[in-house]
Amino acid sequence: MNLFQLLNGVTFAALLFIVASGFTLIFGLLRIVNLAHGALYLLGGYFGYSIASWSGSFALGIVGAMAGIALFGILLEGGLLRFVRGHELRQVLLTVGVAFVINDMALVIWGGDSFTVPVPDTLMGAVQIGPVFYPKYRVFVFGAGVAVFLLLWLLMNKTRLGVMIRAGVDDAEMVEACGINIRRIYLWTFLLGAALAGLGGVIGGAYLSLYPTADAEILVFSLAVVIIGGRGSLPGAAIGALMVGLLNSVGQVMFPELAYFVIFGPMAALLAFRPLGLFGKSV
Amino acid sequence: MLEVKDLHSYYGDAHVLHGATLEVNKGEIVALLGRNGMGKTTLIRSIMGLTPPTVRAGEVKWNGETISGLKPHEIASRRIAIVPQGRRLFSSLTVTEHLTMLKSPRVKEGWTIERIFDAFKRLGERRNHRGSQLSGGERGMLAVARALIQDPDLILMDEPSEGLAPVMVQRLEEVIIDLGKTGLGILLVEQNLYSALDAASRVYIMETGKVVHSGTTAALKADMSVVEKFLGVHG
Repeated sequence: MNLFQLLNGVTFAALLFIVASGFTLIFGLLRIVNLAHGALYLLGGYFGYSIASWSGSFALGIVGAMAGIALFGILLEGGLLRFVRGHELRQVLLTVGVAFVINDMALVIWGGDSFTVPVPDTLMGAVQIGPVFYPKYRVFVFGAGVAVFLLLWLLMNKTRLGVMIRAGVDDAEMVEACGINIRRIYLWTFLLGAALAGLGGVIGGAYLSLYPTADAEILVFSLAVVIIGGRGSLPGAAIGALMVGLLNSVGQVMFPELAYFVIFGPMAALLAFRPLGLFGKSV
Repeated sequence: MLEVKDLHSYYGDAHVLHGATLEVNKGEIVALLGRNGMGKTTLIRSIMGLTPPTVRAGEVKWNGETISGLKPHEIASRRIAIVPQGRRLFSSLTVTEHLTMLKSPRVKEGWTIERIFDAFKRLGERRNHRGSQLSGGERGMLAVARALIQDPDLILMDEPSEGLAPVMVQRLEEVIIDLGKTGLGILLVEQNLYSALDAASRVYIMETGKVVHSGTTAALKADMSVVEKFLGVHG
């Protein structure tokens, strides 16, 4: 395990945080295990790839993917999920179905080849960090993860919408009984979570590349992050992402044949002692 | 004024309210008494539009408008607030956030945050503590404050004194009486009979989903046989 691999772990953690933060917001407030979150990530990546390739602007790719996936999120929440609210199994099955549909549509439109979102020249090349030369783009990924964490923290703690979301995670029925239209909060949260999946898709699409089944891989990692961190907790998602990111690096380097076990073994052990995750609360 | 007419509410197939009827006039404190499991909380939830239970017959009117069937936030926006059973504070929100979430600190009308902290000094001192870090009395006060900040005309209070030390029950009773003097209507569900009788001007007693007695507090105090009959308390 050297510094380069450690940095890789931290960088991967930053990407995981971006994706998992949206996942945990939706899980925490709406109580929906959105198994289409990975598909939204992949679709966001494809959107970003197409827009960035067409326009030549990586930034436009990010904005377009976030807006497109946010819109997709609104349609999913307002058009489908609202009809199965309160029915956990139906919600899960519905999101699995949506994931299948998105994947197949993506296969029809973009085919089965692997794509990499083109990044601007300024993010090419490497910077020296201590004794190692590290790709600039990966430093950008880390910075993006930190920025998303800070912005989300500000949103959740310094804005009324954020306070309402946190209150809703604690007790959605009471939020409604206090005169707040919880449906609107649900919609905003779903929009935000979906936009974060889209952002993750573009950033990850330039880092891990895009291909069919990339959604399932990121989804499994996100699930681990959220389960470790605890439902609805941003600090939990950050720590969970760091653990999973670093364990993934360790696993790949030191026990390549046991790479998944290195992540899910400790996760299972943690759950044995803290069934609700590090920061999880019972309802 | 609040009018509940012949309300039938169900939890699934279980028929819990069998035609409950009551009224709360403007600015009146009315106590709703009854043993556990008689439907008091079900009635409060039905008035507030909270589901479950589901209301299958009868209606709730508020200032002449039928509000049964509306969503809880629509009912709340008609100036009906609730202090629910068990308080149900938001455990991850600070005292201040409980209030700013519902009313911007910039609003200077009605119950402002300053006015709340003035009325409940203890909450002001604990303003940066989270709901989960408060003592029982402070939690009770915050639950009342969370209702007040919505500038209600009517508060539905479901056992606000539950789990409080006697001195806090006394303090809460004073708060309720003071609020009643400001013209606020209160429907007070209480296990603590004497506290309820001190605060309320009229009393309803529920048994098995029906209102079986209604009258003034004075009449009830004069003839405690009703209390003995329905509440099993010896006056």
